[in-house]
Amino acid sequence: MFEMNGEVDVKMKKKKKIKKKDRLEGMKKEMDIVSVIHKTRRRESWREYGLTSSKAAEVLERDGPNELLPPKGTPEYVKFARQLAGGLQCLMWVAAVICFIAFGIEFSRGTLGCFDDLYLAITLITVVVVTGCFGYYQEFKSTNIIASFKNLVPQQALVIRDGQKNQINAMDLVVGDLVEIKGGDRVPADIRIIFAQGCKVDNSSLTGESEPQSKTPECTHENPLETKNIAFFSTTCLEGVATGTVINTGDRTIIGRIASLASGVGNEKTPIAIEIEHFVDIIAGLAIFFGFTFFVVAMFIGYAFLEAMIFFMAIVVAYVPEGLLATVTVCLSLTAKRLARKNCVVKNLEAVETLGSTSVICSDKTGTLTQNRMTVAHLWFDNVIHAADTTEDQSGQSFDQSSETWRSLARVAGLCNRAIFKPNQESLPIPRRIVVGDASETALLKFTELAIGNMMEYRERFKKVVEVPFNSTNKNTLMLSVHELEDPMDLRYLLVMKGAPERILERCSTILIKGQEMPLEEQWREAFQTAYMDLGSLGERVLGFCHIYLNENEFPRGYKFDSDEMNFTTSGLCFAGLISMIDPPRATVPDAVMKCRTAGIRVVMVTGDHPITARAIAANVGIITEGSETVEDIATRKRIPVEQVNRRDARACVISGGQLKDMSSEELDEALRSHPEMVFARTSPQPPSSPPLIIVESCQRLGSIVAVTGDGVNDSPALKKADIGIAMGIAGSDAAKNAADMILLDDNFASIVTGVEQGRLIFDNLKKSIAYTLTKNIPELTPYLIYITVSVPLPLGCITILMIELATDIFPSVSLAYEKAESDIMHLKPRNPRKDRLVNESLAAYSYFQIGAIQSFAGFTDYFTAMAQEGWYPLLCVGLRSHWENVHLQDLQDSYGQEWTYAQRLYQQYTCYTVFFISIEICQIADVLIRKTRRLSIFQQGFFRNKVLVSAIVFQLLLGNLLCYCPGMPNIFNFMPIRGQWWFVPIPYGILIFVYDEIRKLGVRRHPGSWWDQELYY
Amino acid sequence: MSTKEETPAADGDKPQTSSWKDSIYNPRTGEFIGRTAKSWALILLFYLVFYGFLAGMFTLTMWVMLQTLDDNIPTYRDRVASPAAFWGLAKKVWNAGLVIRPRSLDIVFNRTDPKQYGQYVQHLENFLQQYNDTVQEKNELCMVGEYYEQDDQEEKKVCQFKRNLLRQCSGLSDTTFGYAEGKPCVLVKMNRIIGLKPRGDPYINCTAKRESPLQMQYFPSEGRFDKMYFPYYGKNLHSTYVQPLVAVKLLLTKEDYNNELTMECKIEGSDLRNSDDRDKFLGRVTFRVKVVE
Repeated sequence: MFEMNGEVDVKMKKKKKIKKKDRLEGMKKEMDIVSVIHKTRRRESWREYGLTSSKAAEVLERDGPNELLPPKGTPEYVKFARQLAGGLQCLMWVAAVICFIAFGIEFSRGTLGCFDDLYLAITLITVVVVTGCFGYYQEFKSTNIIASFKNLVPQQALVIRDGQKNQINAMDLVVGDLVEIKGGDRVPADIRIIFAQGCKVDNSSLTGESEPQSKTPECTHENPLETKNIAFFSTTCLEGVATGTVINTGDRTIIGRIASLASGVGNEKTPIAIEIEHFVDIIAGLAIFFGFTFFVVAMFIGYAFLEAMIFFMAIVVAYVPEGLLATVTVCLSLTAKRLARKNCVVKNLEAVETLGSTSVICSDKTGTLTQNRMTVAHLWFDNVIHAADTTEDQSGQSFDQSSETWRSLARVAGLCNRAIFKPNQESLPIPRRIVVGDASETALLKFTELAIGNMMEYRERFKKVVEVPFNSTNKNTLMLSVHELEDPMDLRYLLVMKGAPERILERCSTILIKGQEMPLEEQWREAFQTAYMDLGSLGERVLGFCHIYLNENEFPRGYKFDSDEMNFTTSGLCFAGLISMIDPPRATVPDAVMKCRTAGIRVVMVTGDHPITARAIAANVGIITEGSETVEDIATRKRIPVEQVNRRDARACVISGGQLKDMSSEELDEALRSHPEMVFARTSPQPPSSPPLIIVESCQRLGSIVAVTGDGVNDSPALKKADIGIAMGIAGSDAAKNAADMILLDDNFASIVTGVEQGRLIFDNLKKSIAYTLTKNIPELTPYLIYITVSVPLPLGCITILMIELATDIFPSVSLAYEKAESDIMHLKPRNPRKDRLVNESLAAYSYFQIGAIQSFAGFTDYFTAMAQEGWYPLLCVGLRSHWENVHLQDLQDSYGQEWTYAQRLYQQYTCYTVFFISIEICQIADVLIRKTRRLSIFQQGFFRNKVLVSAIVFQLLLGNLLCYCPGMPNIFNFMPIRGQWWFVPIPYGILIFVYDEIRKLGVRRHPGSWWDQELYY
Repeated sequence: MSTKEETPAADGDKPQTSSWKDSIYNPRTGEFIGRTAKSWALILLFYLVFYGFLAGMFTLTMWVMLQTLDDNIPTYRDRVASPAAFWGLAKKVWNAGLVIRPRSLDIVFNRTDPKQYGQYVQHLENFLQQYNDTVQEKNELCMVGEYYEQDDQEEKKVCQFKRNLLRQCSGLSDTTFGYAEGKPCVLVKMNRIIGLKPRGDPYINCTAKRESPLQMQYFPSEGRFDKMYFPYYGKNLHSTYVQPLVAVKLLLTKEDYNNELTMECKIEGSDLRNSDDRDKFLGRVTFRVKVVE
């Protein structure tokens, strides 16, 4: 859970260096693939025969099996041992060993009460082991990343060797093997296609893009990820067949390299882990310092060595906050639970707080910022651009639909469309129905369904005669279909066509304006151009629509339309209008981005889309604010070359993947520093240097805490590298989910903002919780210091301390996690991880030296009262220790002349423990109340608003009563049934704590920045 | 995109020349362990006032608490008197410890070697000084068998317990208390408890933990604690009070020498507790005797 080992840190740093080298090598290997492609192309003779079995065996011997090997990790028992050997844990082990020794010696002497030491040792060990197991479990959960890659790997492959086809285990494939794949198969290795027939693969497991990609033998791009002739290990062949040679196997495949990169990228330590480590070190250091000082003092005063060791142990037990790690873990998991209800599943508990300190969010566009479905955004007809309703629930405004042109346009859009709804979805709202068809046709179908009504029935009425679909092979960018008319008396055919606007316009000679067919004059062409440019600049995909009623005489009923011959009119059509589509932003996103901005968080968009689309969406959701200009914008406005523009003037910046590739890391840092609004577009999902990873590293170099969203396997290194990786629950691949610290179940960016808010709140509340927990260490420590130096009978025992730490005070400290925020935390800047520490000097000083001191005085007042009222005056107590603890002295006289046996004195000592315990409890009730706020008055925050806290106080009191008055307690936990009066002795001190803290807060509120504020605000 | 401009804000992190020495004393800022002299003075003054106030409050509460205490009787006596009473049980139970003199639970000596038993004899002699006639003659002669209650008297008197009541164990006739002859005396005394009035007729009964019974002599006869020595009124009012004693003379025979003998003495015949599981000295005392010839 919390790494506390300095050594590990050093190792991590070393690893990082090695990783960088690896990445460089990875890029070189990239080049290798390309050269391999060229080489293998020449070996066409293998096409029939394949490798010989002996050659295959040889290569298998050399390269090893075709499987993903888990990286050599630390053995599990070492990991577990590390959990047991943190700073505090080591101290507790030492304490436990001292206890055992003390028990051994005292047992052999037959001392009464020697079993206390044994219990103490066992309790200490239990605490260490239980927290260790917890931490180990946490670590175990977040590190089994390679397992998710294993699931992707195919089992069988059809290979051609020695001229024969064999079904072999995919593990035995070697470089050079000829393999055949068909629809439904997993690709068994990285292969270069040498023969393909209608082969389409789904690369979603690799890149997260689910659009099927066709594979052909041509090398179309020098980037292996973009070229059409390479199919990748673990991707799925959807349809068709293909034959290819294996070019990479096992860990050398693209996915293997991503896997090793992902599992190799050092999981960055979360800020909260660093914070806790930081302060655990301090605590451990102080504990040793105190313990050792008093060990020396004790030896100097003349105690025996064993006694001095026991003092050392007791001081360690008193000073170390045993329950703290548990408290922190519980607080974090409470927030994690709260987040889970808001669709953020947190895998790594510490990530809860990391979100709160996040200063940069690198967000994927598709699906996170946008709805991930094409939607009709604008229409142009009658020479006006109309805006369509793009909201998810159709709650927006619609345009005027009374025009005749609109009816024609809708008819073309509805008829010239192959997409259909899957059956039996009538109950679903239209936008959520599942459609079979491509993205833009789906958008048009839904749009027309909403506008006109039942499209399936509508199409029935216009019976389709023939259609010519889009076809990428013959570069046909148009789609047309011919329909019979609705009116059975009208025997004309209607030809409808859609496609790229300029191509459509080429074929038109008239244009519909207000339902009237007008000749397509120059003014209309210009209007068309303007509209087309306007829509294009919004980043939208624009389609043109036109139609024509075919001449009844030329094309009578029964005319044989031939889609290949195109034996019908395809020019001189009538232009109906333009419809533009976009993947619109989610409704909640602009608001969420705004919230991020007020919270001082930068949102950087990373997308594979075209820069213009990316920019439009960025502007739409507020990532690029109104009035922000890019360097290019300024250049256009001022009519000067791009080079002359002062980069600092440009707030916004859009960097494309190509530019990013050419930038050095310094240049990228500089760009990120000088432009607050960044968009990365057209980023290719090339794994070893995937853009998110580079961007994350750059942001981290600038000292930011970075959150990254991602869904593809290729994102997993970046997700791991980021301070907090956020995977998409719906679109995300398993590998991404495994690499991430958090999963957004609804893929919605707005959920991240909720997470940020919760993260900030938990940071504040953890601060309060820790302050509360630390306070009581002083009243636990002072009894020992006084005991050693002034030799009074021991006021507080170790077991009692553990009862406070691990029983009564846990619930109240956890209940502070339920505290509401004091101010609007979303209007503050993210905390500076170097300056705004979780535990700072003033928190420690205030808890230890002020509130802790008051509690100590309360404890001693109650202690001396209980002693005096039972017959031992305070002055008699001083220096009494050696007589008091003398087992052979059975008649020690008190201040009244009564004589006490040893056992009677021991029970009196237990009474003192209990009284001191009660004093700490009463003061801690005051303490938990004051910790509700750091700045506001409790009366402003509300006394009883935090119901959990109130019940925690009640629980604490009940538990205190149980410990005091349950029969048998004196001999089990050294608690005595104390007199009711002693409960009231510490109350004045409790009131003092409360009043003093109110005064402190008043001063802090009234005089911000003053000495009082600086010293006493934590 | 390619031109890189030098910006003044870019080099925010100047190479720090500070070292660990600076964290103790930084000559540039005049900071000593992170604070300037003025800052230290202010914070120390603050804590002086703060702890001054706390100490004052502590002293005040302690003073108030001490004012509420009675000089003569402790406010509560949950340990020595009756923890049972706390639970609302009506019956008061007295928890009086039993101790022996000489102050050792392992009495081992060679009866022929005065050096070895000398310490015991010396100890008993010293202990019995307060029971000397010269001291005791100033005290009252009280009614045998009745509590000497003097609640309403200003000055509490003490009942006489003369040394010679212990006869052979008084050290008067036999100055070695029987140690020289191998028949040692052990004095049993009950812890003083203010207000303790044992009901019944308390007496000391000792047994040797072995098969055959051991011959013993009790002084005063039958090992009785007489009621007239109760109650005790506390150190303040009853400063010259002496506890009643019971001497037990162990009549060891030749066969008993060189063997370790475990003895247990109990107070019996009263409501005093003598069988507590946890406290082995409540109304009873166990000790070992070994006489070497």
